Amino acid sequence: MKNGEIAIEGGSNTSAEEGVPEGIVLNEHAQVCLQQLLRVWLGFERDLSKVPLLRRIDLGTYTAEDHQVFLRNIRQQVIEGSRWITRTASSFDRDHAEIRSTIISHAVDEHRDYEMLEKDYVASGGELNDILSMERNIGSEALHGFLMHQSSQPNPIDLLGAMWIIEGLGEKMATSWSERIQELTGLGEDSTRFMAYHGHNDSEHMERFYATLDSVCVNDVAVNRIVKTAKVVARLYRLQLEEMEHDLK
Amino acid sequence: MSVYITSTGRFLPGPAIHVEDVEKVLGAVHGKPSSLRVQIQKANKIQTRHYAIDENQQTTHSNTEMATRAAEECLDRAFVGREKVGMLAVASTQGDLPAPGMASMVQAELDLPEIEILTTHGICSSSIMALKAAWNSMRLEEHDAALVLSSELASRLLKKQRYEAATTSTFAAKRIDFSTEFLRWMLSDGAGALLLQNKPAPKGLSLRIDWIRGFSHAHALPTCMSVGSAGRPEDARTWQDYDTYAEAEQDGALLLRQDVRLLDNLMRMGVDGYLRLVEEGVSKPSDVDHFLCHYSSHHFRNKILEMLNKAGVGIPEEKWWTNLYTRGNTGCASLFIMLDEFLRTEELSVKEGDRVLCFVPESGRFNTTYVHLTVVSQ
Repeated sequence: MKNGEIAIEGGSNTSAEEGVPEGIVLNEHAQVCLQQLLRVWLGFERDLSKVPLLRRIDLGTYTAEDHQVFLRNIRQQVIEGSRWITRTASSFDRDHAEIRSTIISHAVDEHRDYEMLEKDYVASGGELNDILSMERNIGSEALHGFLMHQSSQPNPIDLLGAMWIIEGLGEKMATSWSERIQELTGLGEDSTRFMAYHGHNDSEHMERFYATLDSVCVNDVAVNRIVKTAKVVARLYRLQLEEMEHDLK
Repeated sequence: MSVYITSTGRFLPGPAIHVEDVEKVLGAVHGKPSSLRVQIQKANKIQTRHYAIDENQQTTHSNTEMATRAAEECLDRAFVGREKVGMLAVASTQGDLPAPGMASMVQAELDLPEIEILTTHGICSSSIMALKAAWNSMRLEEHDAALVLSSELASRLLKKQRYEAATTSTFAAKRIDFSTEFLRWMLSDGAGALLLQNKPAPKGLSLRIDWIRGFSHAHALPTCMSVGSAGRPEDARTWQDYDTYAEAEQDGALLLRQDVRLLDNLMRMGVDGYLRLVEEGVSKPSDVDHFLCHYSSHHFRNKILEMLNKAGVGIPEEKWWTNLYTRGNTGCASLFIMLDEFLRTEELSVKEGDRVLCFVPESGRFNTTYVHLTVVSQ
């Protein structure tokens, strides 16, 4: 992406900014919830600029080594992602069968994404064994622990808040990071396939997200639960990204 | 105590320069027309603007002089004598002198004796900082009247000689250095003035200041618009760290830069700030009768509109008002120049009780400011 194109086109929207697709009218509580989620997202997105590794994307000093560190550290979360999502599905009772179906199909879409990520790692100059043997970092432990706990609760509708943050980031990786990383590092497209692909897939996920939000966010208690979980996930996700810096040699 | 804007004024130097003639005034760098000008101007849609330099790039009006002329117009229209003015607050990105503050120089030109002065330094939002400080002084009942000025002379930074002298800069090294050229086709010169009083004007419409808020995000985001560094991430020097100013200029440390990649953050933070005000119950989009939004380019208007709509806090487009397209983007002076023309030309659509929301975002290091006014008459 050239500078000029950005100035004229102004970059691309991330999914959190895409808004509700036409045809979906949110109920009053879902609308309030969405406004609050948007603020959580905007704060999260802004604070990503404070994460040293990601700040280097902004400043133009991100290197191929940074990219390897990123992929090595994000893999565990991608693997665990499909685990908490499937557990979430199984925690919904028969009164929430529609949501259960939505979540199961979401999990099917993503549960082998980590394989693509491993190939990206090798394409960016990393050794396959290094990424395969990488443990969860401290932030990934905290994030995973929280998500597995929440997803084990009965009818965990608050995890919509978690999906909001994680899907939003997927879209941001695709629209703001993948090409920029290629430009900065000289790496090829084959080293950012996970980022690019993930974003493409996520916009469909967002449509399902709005429909689900409308069906479950029907009172103040639901709004607060969803927004609180979004805040916790945003904070722990950032911790996971901050911890990547310690993996730099 | 309520405080009112009871008079306004503006000064736009020289003739209106048409979009096609901009490079004649700023000059073609090394005699070669810019390859980016048309593209950037097409996106910002600014049709005419004013410059305080002539076609030989010689300064025709100083920044102090422009601020003074706007102040004179504002005071001439006021229903109160200038001796009532107890405070002068002046905003600019860069006064004529790095020191002392610009307010001292303007006070001298205006010949206002023994008043309290304030100079605010920043970029677009510096005018809102000055307005807020003056408003607060008025609320503390320290003055009966305060004059708030904002003035910009950006063209001195944008003339061809600046770029020609930057021989070892990123501008000289790259075929196209977007970040140093972008603002060249965006900014122009002008000044605006507001008079604050503790009561509405006896005739005509005044604007009561209801609230002024600002949210700065410099703690998180990198610098986006600046003068003073060479624009290389690995080089931490600023202009005064070079052995000579000549070296700083050669290296491009005195060129105005905008990192356009970071600009989307400004719109996001602008929408975040407005969502915050809505959440606090301070503002309600459906209550806004007129929305005066300072945006640097038409391109960003659509983006802000879209984002506000999608966040569910949209303000219908027919309530938006701007004179960006004819008066140009004059940085911190823009909002005051806008308010002046808005009150003067929209007498049919502006009526008592109307609520006016103003939004001034600053890309420098992401400061977003909001002003809420209510139209009153005595």
